[in-house]
Amino acid sequence: MKITRTTTIALLAGVLLFAGAAFAHHGTANYDTAKMINVKGVVTDFQFVNPHVQIVMDVKDDNGKVKSWSGELTSPNRLSRLGWSKNSIKAGDIITIGGYPTKSGSPEIWIQKVTLASGDDLATGGGN
Amino acid sequence: MGNTLKYLALAGIALLTCASGARAQMGKEDAAPKAAPAPAPVHDLSGIWNMRATPAQRKYIGSTYTAEEPAQTPWAKAKYDAAKPSNGPRSNPLTVTDDPVLKLCFPPGTPRIYLQPFPLQIVQTPKEIIMIFEYDHTVRYIFTDGREHPADVTPTYMGHSIGKWDGDTLVVDTVGFNEKTWLDRDGHQHSDQLHVVERFHRTNMDAMTIDITMEDPKALTKPWVTQLNFQLRPTWDIQELACTDNVDFINFEK
Repeated sequence: MKITRTTTIALLAGVLLFAGAAFAHHGTANYDTAKMINVKGVVTDFQFVNPHVQIVMDVKDDNGKVKSWSGELTSPNRLSRLGWSKNSIKAGDIITIGGYPTKSGSPEIWIQKVTLASGDDLATGGGN
Repeated sequence: MGNTLKYLALAGIALLTCASGARAQMGKEDAAPKAAPAPAPVHDLSGIWNMRATPAQRKYIGSTYTAEEPAQTPWAKAKYDAAKPSNGPRSNPLTVTDDPVLKLCFPPGTPRIYLQPFPLQIVQTPKEIIMIFEYDHTVRYIFTDGREHPADVTPTYMGHSIGKWDGDTLVVDTVGFNEKTWLDRDGHQHSDQLHVVERFHRTNMDAMTIDITMEDPKALTKPWVTQLNFQLRPTWDIQELACTDNVDFINFEK
């Protein structure tokens, strides 16, 4: 398996860390919760909306080719109780998101972790 | 004697310091050191509550009430097998699910509303106890003015609820359901003969348990029983959460 600079896969560890959160989120069938990946890129859109907050970002692969990735989090209601707002992330921000990839391999991710350019993590409270 | 007391006090402070340190490592939500909770107020459940699943419950509470399957009649089992839930171990994509809550924005029903992972507010008036759920502004009225269920009760999603205090426990009896909802997020079924009994017990100022018994002669061959735990969230507000937004999200996930 080729591991790129921007995408790393941590097998199994993700299962143990996040198994508790996996079952409250709807639409989990699309995702492979046995894998965790990290994707770093430039935010192009941040939607603080129900039922799941969405982040879209441009990610460069090893060949410099840019691909658009989208990720979903839990609800804005839950995230706001963890300190988030609609301004927590904005277009142009460089962030790293960690989470479950889709089973199909499409560039989507069920986000479990968000790390800002400053190195600070934004609490996601699990995946539900 | 004075010295002994002083040493005991110091030991107590040391213990409390250790305990709060341990809690701080468990995560943000548990970070604040807490004093022992005050006793429960008398016949008062008011406040904003959020479910606090036990470690054992966390494996399944996102979709159902117990680790064991309920005892289903063949009628209910056939409908359950055909259901395409979007939560739990039988999860389907949102484009495929036929969950009436996600697909049609139907009110979740009683007691499924507790499985939607959002807080609820309890407001008490002399006539009734009002439960305001964050999920899609769902409301339940539990009449506590001594009335009985109407003989010709109109079938509804959330049912008709009456409550009576039994000592320090509020016993709520709910009947009069339509058959448009599921019992849980995993696709278990009920009929219009569903009868739900809930026993609300505020164990202290900050904690409440709800013991739930579901009976349904058409769907369950024996009662389905569970206990849910809730934590008071005095600093939270109930926010807006509109189910209609799910429609946009199904398009996003396509």
